[in-house]
Amino acid sequence: MNIYHKTTQKLRRKLQRSESLKGYLLLSPTILVMAGIMLIPFIGMIILSLWTQIGYAKFDTTLTLNNFIVVFTNEMYRVLFSRSLVVSAMTTFLTVLLAYPMAYFVAFHVQRRKLLWIILMTLPFWTSYLLRVFAWKVILGYNGVINSGLLWLGIINEPITLLLYNPSAVIITLTHAWAAFAILPIYVSLEKIDRSLLEAATDLGDSPLARFFRITLPLSLPGVVAATVLIFIPTVGDYVTPSLVGGSDGYMIANAIQFQFGRGSNWPLGAALSLSSMAVVTVITIVYFLVSKTLTQNIR
Amino acid sequence: MDNRSSLRQRYMQPINRRKFLKQLGLAGVSLAAVPGMQFARAADKPTYFTWGGYNDDNFFGAGEVVTSGPFADKYGGPPNYAIFGDAEEGLTKMKAGFVVDAVHPCSTDVIRWRETGLFQAWDNDQLLHLNDIFPQLSKMHGAQDYRGQWFLPIEWGATSITYRTDLVDIQPEDESWEMLFDPRYKGKIAVIDSAADTWYCMAILAGVDLMQPMSDADIEKTNILMKKLRPQVRMFTNDMTSLGQALASGEVVMAISWNETPVGLWWEGHPVRFASPKEGTMTWFCGLMLHKDAPNYSGAHDIANSLTSPVTGQYLMENWGYGHANQKAFSITDPDTLAILGLDADPVAYMESGVFGIPQSDEVETRINRDFEAIKTGF
Repeated sequence: MNIYHKTTQKLRRKLQRSESLKGYLLLSPTILVMAGIMLIPFIGMIILSLWTQIGYAKFDTTLTLNNFIVVFTNEMYRVLFSRSLVVSAMTTFLTVLLAYPMAYFVAFHVQRRKLLWIILMTLPFWTSYLLRVFAWKVILGYNGVINSGLLWLGIINEPITLLLYNPSAVIITLTHAWAAFAILPIYVSLEKIDRSLLEAATDLGDSPLARFFRITLPLSLPGVVAATVLIFIPTVGDYVTPSLVGGSDGYMIANAIQFQFGRGSNWPLGAALSLSSMAVVTVITIVYFLVSKTLTQNIR
Repeated sequence: MDNRSSLRQRYMQPINRRKFLKQLGLAGVSLAAVPGMQFARAADKPTYFTWGGYNDDNFFGAGEVVTSGPFADKYGGPPNYAIFGDAEEGLTKMKAGFVVDAVHPCSTDVIRWRETGLFQAWDNDQLLHLNDIFPQLSKMHGAQDYRGQWFLPIEWGATSITYRTDLVDIQPEDESWEMLFDPRYKGKIAVIDSAADTWYCMAILAGVDLMQPMSDADIEKTNILMKKLRPQVRMFTNDMTSLGQALASGEVVMAISWNETPVGLWWEGHPVRFASPKEGTMTWFCGLMLHKDAPNYSGAHDIANSLTSPVTGQYLMENWGYGHANQKAFSITDPDTLAILGLDADPVAYMESGVFGIPQSDEVETRINRDFEAIKTGF
């Protein structure tokens, strides 16, 4: 009894003294959940990717790197990887380019009811992602809004078939779908900018354009970086948009992964593909972070 | 003024922590109970795992055309549906542990599906319409053994080309699978996004004997045609509604489809024809299998009985344009409809005029699926 009492007291003292232990204790429910739903499946994926599928429902459990060799030597996967990265990079670039002026407008030119404006900008998010993709199918389709509009105006005689079922349709749809993820972080970083810096620049004779490039843009770069990462990572692995509006030319890496777990019935190869795509995205993101970090440091 | 402040006092009084927690707890408990209530209500209904579109309440006497039937009387409505876009996708879900009562694969899947060990034989004594089913279908290789019927046929039909007679310049006697390669219609062709249909149609054109196990040479021959077909194709789809819409709007002028598509378009008044290619159409039939852990064993048999009943057969033929497996369905179906569908004279002859395929081995099927996907992607 006495020993028990002593140890609990010791533990309690330790707990009170150590900040990090306290932190971990507070975090423990989250850590447990994360371990349960992220780490364990992730380890399972790694193991699965080292197996070999035999027949319909069986695996050869000898560990081998063959699946990864297939992923990195097969021309099809190379093309799909680069297509996914290009589509995603284009989407990210266009989204940030379109979102920046909107965020800028709200941050600097809207004086009253800013919250209302922000809510209005996230309005597309009030409907489901799938519905937004379908909406683009309707807009870009053969009988779609664009085609019937152009036909009615007499600009074209026959509907344009190039609008749908290709990578550009995927880029357009994704750009719209992820807009709010760019607007919000950019808005926050623009809003934080100290207005007296702008006044000082004006007093010292900067034109509005020079003022923007010397003060506003560099100070808002953290928001731009956050937006880029927020959009780039999920769009590389987007599955539903390419499968609905991409056609066979807009097929992306996620579709190939889905195929391996479905009709292709080669789960180990699917696992290897997912892990490889995770690794590629991680490397790109880290490089991007480092580059943008040095860039912003230089500016300051 | 006084009034207002008293109202305010009544409604806006500061809430204390205990009260807040109490209300929060109440909201939590009621939220948590909602799904539980739904499960409790739905538990007695069997689950039917089927192709998208086959979740038609009319098959169970709970629709707008067939408004009553033994199934709806017993369960008060249709079964619970679960949907797949393609039978392989359905099998993958069940392999991953999804348990249902009755599933709806096609004849060429049966042997491979049985090999997975996920299914059990039906109880023949509980199948009310088994003896009325065309023996050509119910006695197919692999469909039954000493334990009973494993695969209970429901519907059959053909896979061929549906084309717009006003937009495609061809005489009915010249119809062939070659039509799909006509350079004039490049980019105006839709095909079914499933190797079991599109790839096999190309195999017919390549002259592969589908009644024999396939050789590597057969697969290569067909792959060459598939590669030639791919640049012609605008859409690969499993969604028969968008396929039909694309044909109706003229977005595509030809499509590999099942006979449901031309029937639907005829009735909407579109000028379409279901080709009879000189190499032969592909005949298919689909049916029901029973999951080995079916939680609602007798409910699964109720699904089977409802789907194989003559009334369902009549509805299926008059509204879907497919043939039904129950022979008795033909005597109660509108003869004019049967004539349009070409089923009036002798359904057995119709069935046998097409190219039937035997189920292929697992290796061959998997290879075909992988090759099909790679070609579709452009390799």
